[in-house]
Amino acid sequence: MEPFVFFGGKGGVGKTTVSCAYGLKCARDGHRTLVVSTDPAHSVTDVFDQSFDDSPRSVEGIDGLDAMQIDPEDEVTRHLDEIRQNLSEQVSASMVNEINRQLEMAHGTPGAYESALFDRFVDVMRDADDYDRVVFDTAPSGSTLRLLGLPDLLEEWIDRLMYKRRTSIDLFEKAAVGNNEPRRVMDGDPVLRRLEERKAFFEFAGSALHDDAAFFLVLNPDELSLNETRRSIDDLREKGFAVRGLVANKLTPSPDPDENGRGARYLRERVETEEARLETIRSEFEPPLVAEIGWRSAEVKGDLLADVAAELDVETAVEPPTHV
Amino acid sequence: MDLADRIESFRQTLEEWLRGLYHGMISHPAYEKIEKEAEDAEDAFMLACFPDAFGIPSPVSYYTAELLPYLEDEFESWERRLWDRGTYLERKGQQYHF
Repeated sequence: MEPFVFFGGKGGVGKTTVSCAYGLKCARDGHRTLVVSTDPAHSVTDVFDQSFDDSPRSVEGIDGLDAMQIDPEDEVTRHLDEIRQNLSEQVSASMVNEINRQLEMAHGTPGAYESALFDRFVDVMRDADDYDRVVFDTAPSGSTLRLLGLPDLLEEWIDRLMYKRRTSIDLFEKAAVGNNEPRRVMDGDPVLRRLEERKAFFEFAGSALHDDAAFFLVLNPDELSLNETRRSIDDLREKGFAVRGLVANKLTPSPDPDENGRGARYLRERVETEEARLETIRSEFEPPLVAEIGWRSAEVKGDLLADVAAELDVETAVEPPTHV
Repeated sequence: MDLADRIESFRQTLEEWLRGLYHGMISHPAYEKIEKEAEDAEDAFMLACFPDAFGIPSPVSYYTAELLPYLEDEFESWERRLWDRGTYLERKGQQYHF
């Protein structure tokens, strides 16, 4: 299977648990694995009982498994600081304030978090040479799906910007009379260079996501989760990504047949409705159900994680990436 | 200095004058127009980069912000042009010398 594996789904369905379990499974099968969480709730920390930041760190007690957490807020700040640094080197003091305002505005737009997150995880994919497999535990919301559609959209945008920039430089060059130096020159224009770098970045992201990534959706056996999963599958397919499999998590355990108390009757009823929903998934949903994971009474960590990993019927063999 | 030389120097002066005259009356205004057109194209580029300056959210402004350090001149003149431009029609009108 592809070197990059994404787990998505509605909030609270247990994406982090499943991602970590899959990471563990891969590591146990001898692949160097990195689990990347884009969830600012820092749940990977809870699963492994160990804190992580935005650079990969090995998970104690598990060989070959590293983990990291990306915090979009930190990323936005880092990006902002980087540009500010650049700004103070290039721009005269009188203009800095003027431009700073524009800069802050750009980083306050609703898309900034998504862009920051996107940047970071594409970076991780680009520098993934050390790992055989990278497992992404994506942030719980529709925004993650939009994130995956970004490369196509942005590549087009950048193309248009480059075209506009070239047109104006070309005109400036033509407007330079005789020996006058044109106001802008095409050769070595830093703006065009930056735009080209960005374009290459999005091109890499697009092809890596299309050719080297596999997608799985985690869901719970309830109506809301089912509906959202259905929409996500359609969305992803529209963008040209296919969902490889579904993971049903938090299934209610059935009581022993001789039990007949109020709790047992309740459980039996729940198991029945859940079974009906699973049947719907099996018959109506195209991606196969690759795992059915029961509800655990305790937080999933330690040995429990290994149990969950054992229930995951997702292969771990790695194909080499086609884009490096 | 014999006659041939004097004719030659006279021709050179005349040619220089004619070229200057042609440049001043015909070609220079044309270059000015091209420059204005270039400025307009640049404005369009700036607007596409930073539509949020006008309250229009853009999916790319996070990325185009990276260009800001290199756009000092452009940014300044963009703002200046936006301030003293009456209407787009007026601006385009300036580009025609009848």
